[in-house]
Amino acid sequence: MRKSWFTLAVLIMTVTLIVGCGSNNGNNAGTNTGSNTNANTNAGANEGANEGSAEAPIFKVGMVTDAGTIDDKSFNQGTWEGVVQATEEFGIEHKYLKPAGTTEADYMKEIGNLYDAGFKLIIAPGFKFETAIFQAQDKYPDAKFVILDGAPHAGDFAPVVKENTVSIFFAEHESGFLAGVATALQLKEGEAGFIGGMEIPAVQKFNWGFQQGLKYANENLSTNITIKPENVIYQGSFDNVAAGSQLAAQMYDSGVDVVFAAAGGVGVGAITEAKNRATKGENVWIVGVDVDQYADGVYDGEKSIILTSAMKKIDQAAYDMVKAEKDGAFPGGETLTLDSKNNGVGIPEENPNLSAETVAAVGEIFTKIQSGEIAVAAVQGDLIK
Amino acid sequence: MRNMVISLLAVVFGLLAGALLMVVTGHNPMEGYKYLFEGGLKNPERIGNTLATGTPLIFTGLAVAFAFRTGLFNIGAAGQMLFGGFCATAVGLNLDAARPILLLAMAIAGFAGGALWAFIPGLLKAKFNVHEVVSTIMMNWIAYWTIYYAVPAYLKGEYLETESRALPPAASLREAFLSEWFGGSYVNLGLFLAVIVVIIIAFIINKTTVGYELKAVGFNRYAAEYAGIAVNRSIILSMVISGGLAGLGGVAQYAGNASNIQIGSLPSQGFDGIAVALLGANSPVGVLLAAIFFGLLYSGRGFMNAMTDIPPEIADSIIAIIIYFAATSILMERFARWFMKRRLSARLDADGRKGE
Amino acid sequence: MDYVVEMLNIRKEFPGVVANDDITLRLKKGEIHALLGENGAGKSTLMSILFGMYQADRGTIKVHGKETRISNPNVAGKLGIGMVHQHFKLVANFTVTENIMLGNEIRKGLVLDIKTAARRITELSKRYGLNVDPHAKIEDISVGMQQRVEILKMLYRNAEVLIFDEPTAVLTPQEIEELGKIMKSLIAEGKSIILITHKLKEIKAVADRCTVIRRGKTIGTVEVATTSEQTMAEMMVGRNVSFQVSKKPSSLGEVVLKLENVSVKNSKKVLGLKQFSLEVRAGEIVGIAGVEGNGQTELVEGITGLRKIEEGAIYMEGRNVAGLSIRDRIRSGIGHIPEDRQRRGLVLDYTLEENMVLEIYKRPPFSKGGILNKRSIRQYTNGILQSFDVRSGQGALSITRSLSGGNQQKAIIGREIELNPTLLIAVQPTRGLDVGSIEYIHKRLIEHRDKGKAVLLISLELDEILGVSDRIAVLNNGELVGVVNAADTSENEIGLMMAGLERGEGE
Repeated sequence: MRKSWFTLAVLIMTVTLIVGCGSNNGNNAGTNTGSNTNANTNAGANEGANEGSAEAPIFKVGMVTDAGTIDDKSFNQGTWEGVVQATEEFGIEHKYLKPAGTTEADYMKEIGNLYDAGFKLIIAPGFKFETAIFQAQDKYPDAKFVILDGAPHAGDFAPVVKENTVSIFFAEHESGFLAGVATALQLKEGEAGFIGGMEIPAVQKFNWGFQQGLKYANENLSTNITIKPENVIYQGSFDNVAAGSQLAAQMYDSGVDVVFAAAGGVGVGAITEAKNRATKGENVWIVGVDVDQYADGVYDGEKSIILTSAMKKIDQAAYDMVKAEKDGAFPGGETLTLDSKNNGVGIPEENPNLSAETVAAVGEIFTKIQSGEIAVAAVQGDLIK
Repeated sequence: MRNMVISLLAVVFGLLAGALLMVVTGHNPMEGYKYLFEGGLKNPERIGNTLATGTPLIFTGLAVAFAFRTGLFNIGAAGQMLFGGFCATAVGLNLDAARPILLLAMAIAGFAGGALWAFIPGLLKAKFNVHEVVSTIMMNWIAYWTIYYAVPAYLKGEYLETESRALPPAASLREAFLSEWFGGSYVNLGLFLAVIVVIIIAFIINKTTVGYELKAVGFNRYAAEYAGIAVNRSIILSMVISGGLAGLGGVAQYAGNASNIQIGSLPSQGFDGIAVALLGANSPVGVLLAAIFFGLLYSGRGFMNAMTDIPPEIADSIIAIIIYFAATSILMERFARWFMKRRLSARLDADGRKGE
Repeated sequence: MDYVVEMLNIRKEFPGVVANDDITLRLKKGEIHALLGENGAGKSTLMSILFGMYQADRGTIKVHGKETRISNPNVAGKLGIGMVHQHFKLVANFTVTENIMLGNEIRKGLVLDIKTAARRITELSKRYGLNVDPHAKIEDISVGMQQRVEILKMLYRNAEVLIFDEPTAVLTPQEIEELGKIMKSLIAEGKSIILITHKLKEIKAVADRCTVIRRGKTIGTVEVATTSEQTMAEMMVGRNVSFQVSKKPSSLGEVVLKLENVSVKNSKKVLGLKQFSLEVRAGEIVGIAGVEGNGQTELVEGITGLRKIEEGAIYMEGRNVAGLSIRDRIRSGIGHIPEDRQRRGLVLDYTLEENMVLEIYKRPPFSKGGILNKRSIRQYTNGILQSFDVRSGQGALSITRSLSGGNQQKAIIGREIELNPTLLIAVQPTRGLDVGSIEYIHKRLIEHRDKGKAVLLISLELDEILGVSDRIAVLNNGELVGVVNAADTSENEIGLMMAGLERGEGE
């Protein structure tokens, strides 16, 4: 009992100490224009930041992650890589925060935390941030916001992009289309399948584009790749790895040769399954998504089951925005669409699993999309799901 | 009193272990904790957010604690919360009524939804002796997939497949004056509901014959049976109340902290409720305090990350460590007792030798 | 005379309790030495120290005159000390030989040499008159026989000193007599025995000397032959006690309980009580005699509703209550002092006052409109605590777990008698209580009878059954062997009936 009392006393002291520090600090910190808070955070920042930052721009770049982790091999990771690349190049402090949940309130809290810590360029990856960014752009007028794959709105889906915000979309259908053509050209004939995460626009557009790509190749480039309705599946989440493996196994068992997995963690499961089969000598493929997933599909040392990847250059977008802000050219108020024309989507430059002819042919198609000669629809039309 | 000391010990040990973790990873724990607590308490908005974050945890913690008091381990608060939130959202989106009536209807719907979700495991336990841990976990996934299907099918927003339509302001627990008081935070009427419910549950547990019966069944179902208490009925009733509380947590979460319901995730508050109940020593007031403490950790964590180089994963680890200590409070109690016994027998040994 | 085992000035303290305080026990070679004391006096602790399960805080143990340290039961085994536990440690679906070999196997290469072991067991069995079949399975042999297997286990391991822990609790009177003979033959062969018990009669029958302990202290060692039971009882309890239960002849009233062909399944799903019929009248105490596990539990739980009955009828004052809920049966006037007080009788984590209204919290004045009235509950509780002398740290507010077993039992009995039931079912009401409390409880049971109520007494203690009951029904293997008047029967007769022989058959 005596020990308990002792510990209790320690606790009380600790709390008092912490609260004491807190309130002192609170007194010091005023509002933020030219302020103590800034001085305070800079002091904190200097400890960790590199020395070169003395002459660098004084803004700091923050990111709030969406559901999932920073190394999700997908949206969070892509955005973060872009941020890291840019900020390290320019010597800017950067940081990401992981919200406790996926509600607007959760996101707003982290945005507020970043803002209070002096991060004035905040990048939000994903449509889930739409309403949060809508509020943040008003609440923190001296901060700048970038939202990827979405546009701020009040909950009514009427986009309101304020002067301190940039909204960025991608033409996923074009990316999917190119991957579809590449797949068809490389395999010539066979059976394809699609595993999606949630049934949301970005994923749907990948799917529709991919199907159009296969169709285009079958009709114009004399390939014969089919895709059956039962092999187009949205798993329903972006994190159920086991389900991804299962779905992929099911498809491969039913004769599918290549699976386009646009599904985050679910796709990781599919990749694992494909690797297991490839190691045993089966001839199966995965088409990756969002980023170049070649390295994730490596087995037996040098081979990879990633045929190619339908990329959207999230990292590029993040990089560009940081650079633009550094150069004083932040395109506030604009809604940007990254597509073939501005090299915002496409397949990787290096494709060890594609033949030179395939790469060349896809390159031609890419130019045709850029020129508008080939139009890829962003809607379902008569496609599967 | 003893429970309180143990809970405080858990918190202290958790914070100490967290500090150790920070030191090992090369961070300054005093600084880390300073920002952690500042982040949750620095200004009215942050206090409000702490309270708002804690609100659903009060309900789920209370749900788990109530079941625990009656000898049941309700792991399914997540599913009950989700389904309760779904029912409330469905009412909020479809019922056209004056605000007080609408909110009341939503609360009832939320309670009923959660209650239904817990009634099934309760029934299975009473009739077929199916262990509630297994059945409530399964009900979690049934709720997950039911919501996964039902929200896009019936409550779908115009563009988004993964969320319901946003609730109209009349159906939201947000209250302008509250947000203003707390500098624009998310604190909402759910907090008041939570406090009222804490009082009601404390009253039921301590003052009523129903609480007396439920506790008796929880402590010793054989003695309860001997005394003529309908054990099976008590199990079902206890699960229903527990589930209903979790369902109210869903109302607070989806109609208060959020403004719609999302598919594709089980609310983490359901599982945190277990930790809250443990830390709160299963007493309603303890749960209230523990939930707010968790709210503080969760809402201060981001600020700590923003202000220091401590990565979010470490912050999560610290929270996990505190949960761990809370969950193993029994172990700690045993440890304390073992320690005291050792000292005692060491002393006796010494005395004995002197005596010879 | 040399001593085989000497335990000198043993002290053992547990947090908050001194279990043994300066206890000395000397065992001579070839004697049966009884260790007498009430429950909680420190007998088990002392023997656990000798057996190496606890270490004494102070004091010395000498074996064959040599000071030794017994750090664990294996050491005790090597020193030739063996213990026959109260609850046998046998594997039910192994044979006798397999059980005895367990942990001490003879091997022939990689295979167990069962033949040699069995031969040795047969030998030992003959030598000590144990009459055990080495190839029988444990689950097929009687409890008495199982106890002999435990004894054989010790002999097989060459034990010289055998500790018997309450060995008669599970035996019929005849088996007890047999055990006495076995013990005698053991000492005739040079073994020494410590007999732990609180039954004076057994000590008188078999023991040579007796050490009495009370509250952790040695009171004295006496020669059994020259000491009266009365004296030993006084040494054990610390005051004058009377063994005679004094009661008026019963004045019979209406039939209160009538059982008609009641059959109840046991927990193994076979009939544990078969076609049982019995009447209990107002103003009488009917005792149920029988060896443990012969249908008593099924009988009691069938009447109270804790177990459903397969067939038959249970009439309370003419009304069939067989279909009623437990609560309704309580309401119809059944009070029940359960066999297992901690499992059934009390919510140990509740306070005493909460436990005192366990059956009646819903009745006024204890609650109104679903809200408990703590004040009247407190008053009611204080009344019970006072009249039944229940001692606890914080009175009505004590957590029940913190009470001693005896006080818990008194609280239950107080609660049930206070209900003033038309039929009081008392199962082992005095188990584990000291002689003084036993006396008091018997008095209260008889008082209850004298108020014109019916009492059904189930006990494994024949003395209690014979002393308290007016009529005695004997159960064997779930069947009613017969009903006799307590006044004109004998322990011997009841004992034979308990073994399944109908009245008169045995003579």
